[in-house]
Amino acid sequence: MPMQGKILYDWPNAKIEESLILYALDQLGTEPYDVTIVGAGVVGCAIAYNLSQYQLRVLLVDKRYDVGEGTSKGNSAIIATGFDATPGSLESQLVTQASRKWPELAHKLKIPFEQSGALLLAIDDEQEGKLEKIHEEALANGVDDVRLVDAAEAKRLEPNASSKVRGGLLIPRESIADPFTTPVAYAEVAMANGVDILLGVHIVGLQKCKSTVKNLVTESGHRIATRLIVNAAGLGGRDLADLYHGAPFDINPRRGQFLIFDKSCHSIVRRILVPLPTAETKGVLVIPTIFGNLLAGPTAEDLPLGSPEATSTTAEGLRWMLSNASGLCPCLLKQPVIGTYAGERCNCKQGSYLIRYNDGYPGILTIAGIRSTGFTSSITLAEYVTEGLGEQCDLSLDRDPDAVDSRPDSCWPGWWRKPIDDAELVKKNPDYADMVCFCEQISRGEIIDALDSMLKPRTLDALKRRTRVGMGRCQGFECRIRVAKIVSEHCDIPLDNITQKGPGSELVAPAHEAIYG
Amino acid sequence: MDKRTNLNLSGRKHARVIIVGAGPAGIGAAVALARKGVRPVVLIDRVSNVGGIPALCKKKPGAVPTFVSWLHGRALVGEQFVAGLEARLAKTDVEVWLDSLVVEIHAAERRLTVVSRAKGKMDLSADAVVLACGSRERSVAERGWLTGSRPARVFFTKHLFDFIDANDILPMSRAIIVGSDSLAYSAAAKLSVSGAGQSIMLDRRRRPECNVFQRLYFKFWSRPKWHGSIQEVQVKGLGVVEGVKISEKKVLTCDSIVVCGDLLPNTELALLGGLEVRLPSRLLEINSGNRLSSPGWFAAGNIRGGFHGAQWCYLNGRKVARSVLKHLA
Repeated sequence: MPMQGKILYDWPNAKIEESLILYALDQLGTEPYDVTIVGAGVVGCAIAYNLSQYQLRVLLVDKRYDVGEGTSKGNSAIIATGFDATPGSLESQLVTQASRKWPELAHKLKIPFEQSGALLLAIDDEQEGKLEKIHEEALANGVDDVRLVDAAEAKRLEPNASSKVRGGLLIPRESIADPFTTPVAYAEVAMANGVDILLGVHIVGLQKCKSTVKNLVTESGHRIATRLIVNAAGLGGRDLADLYHGAPFDINPRRGQFLIFDKSCHSIVRRILVPLPTAETKGVLVIPTIFGNLLAGPTAEDLPLGSPEATSTTAEGLRWMLSNASGLCPCLLKQPVIGTYAGERCNCKQGSYLIRYNDGYPGILTIAGIRSTGFTSSITLAEYVTEGLGEQCDLSLDRDPDAVDSRPDSCWPGWWRKPIDDAELVKKNPDYADMVCFCEQISRGEIIDALDSMLKPRTLDALKRRTRVGMGRCQGFECRIRVAKIVSEHCDIPLDNITQKGPGSELVAPAHEAIYG
Repeated sequence: MDKRTNLNLSGRKHARVIIVGAGPAGIGAAVALARKGVRPVVLIDRVSNVGGIPALCKKKPGAVPTFVSWLHGRALVGEQFVAGLEARLAKTDVEVWLDSLVVEIHAAERRLTVVSRAKGKMDLSADAVVLACGSRERSVAERGWLTGSRPARVFFTKHLFDFIDANDILPMSRAIIVGSDSLAYSAAAKLSVSGAGQSIMLDRRRRPECNVFQRLYFKFWSRPKWHGSIQEVQVKGLGVVEGVKISEKKVLTCDSIVVCGDLLPNTELALLGGLEVRLPSRLLEINSGNRLSSPGWFAAGNIRGGFHGAQWCYLNGRKVARSVLKHLA
């Protein structure tokens, strides 16, 4: 077994465990890193996972306080087959390859995954005419198991779909997976293979770009010595590229708003319902999630880079989505919406999947414009760039014979493996029967498991993504304070230092005083 | 707190009556049934004390008498009212199962699946079941007119009790209160008494939902600044709440938002278990004699919809108990 990597947080005054706080970089050793990946979204984590299979010293850094907290957390959770990609593009190639790998990958990494299938629906004559063209495109993309269905069959497959349906295209391998577990799983395996992880570290400078060993300068003044740099910073990628004078590219967040329906709607739709794309938009999908909810979305609104609105919902957007989603599935109008969110995709003017080796200086790789399909393609994209780094940046790729590529069974998320149903386990640890989140039925035992897991999540949002605590219909009405107290007690953090997503998001306003004397 | 109620759960598989929820309504039904000699009666609650929501409201110096009931001309704070109920409950032989979450119900078989630390997962059936699960405050998304980002410090009124009464922590100093019913006013009063100053109150209505007498009552503690007729509220702030945008031009700054009132009955269990629930209102289908759509199922208290005080719920529980007796006879 290789030495397990370290996780450190650059988190001043966090009052979290000493051993998790970054004081000086020599806590991680003094050797320069072979590769430093900036950005721990699903793509950065997948690259770390893939590089950890080789004998390399790798570092993964992110400015946020958990992995997968940017673009990767607000998406439609679809594992695409790539049936609608532009044939011949890199995106199409990576997505179609990845979609075949996912069933095995999900099993290895313990990511909840289900092959739900998708149904593209045409609801008028004009749309019906376009079906044939989409069918041909899907075949050209190598998605050879798609099939045209007539109105009667579409209705039989999805009885709750609109009665206006004229026909459809069945895509059996389109799947759904847990988008929150995915970056965590990649990062945990990478860490088990010796990859170090730094969170809360914002890269603000770059020194000695011309030499083989470059220095990344962090906001708090640490210097990370590294031979290669991978810019997988998503929407932060432009600022980072400016530091090394990378070739021009323009990115901006494309906002996608979503509606989350209650679990009671789960049986309404079995497959992902996809409308026919129009010239302006890909349209609003109705998506069953692996968690048992239904999603409707997304919108596609381009916002300027750095806009604080990129993850804000709007009443107009939500109304538009509901009316569009009910066009596909009318009974959604009456169903309870329990949550809304807005995610951002990284939209690149120069085309999606922009990959540049030796960008600006030798030894720097820029990855930009990985849009919504990045969740699916992360694994093949990682393999693709690893190979590229070997060829273009002289990275020596020697397989590490001791490296692992999977997580143990105990890593299945609690909500998926349901420890409460294992009477023996409950007897051993009654915490699994001590329910904290009533809506999602998440126990204290599952929360503590997550807190003790490899990446040591210490924020409420990180915990929520791992356990689903507070993701249910009451949105934390019952359990928010109780969960904060469990974190506070278990990790020995004062209650007023508990944050939702790192410093600046404290649950308790700082200027409070003890009340009632 | 009466320790007697913290019973070790019996290994029972069948009860004459099960009551889900040990708030005022559940206790009312349990006490009334036990006094009529029905046994065994099992009263289940998912938290570790009886009393439900009113029990959160503690008697402290300077505490606002919210969740009050008037008894012989004396105002009782939630905790005191619950103490009275507990005393009545202690005189009966009702079996109280605490820290026990009902995870599933099966309407046709009158069976519940219960999870508890003491027993793990187990099934329990009954001749009659009373749902007294109460209600909760509608979340930001469920209201539909609150949009924007999702920062920290967007609370429910219940969280104020969790923080201020249970943990002696005041989580905010300048709050915006969304809603204008008596829960919203009591939240404003609570914040003001605890030292958070004057709050700002927003609603879609033109005038507050509370009538003039209720407002007069709360005026003693606080006079929240009122903004009515608001079409859409956009939450601003990435880390924590920084303000809300209430119109094209107007942004109000604050350090937290309290989402108040607008109660929604906890009928999801019933819906998933096969009882009839009206959509989208999510109200239970209640027939004459307090009966639900399947025989042997009843509903008491705030789960029936609307917003009622503890006293009303207790009395309603007793009334429903009479319907249960008729069913059992």
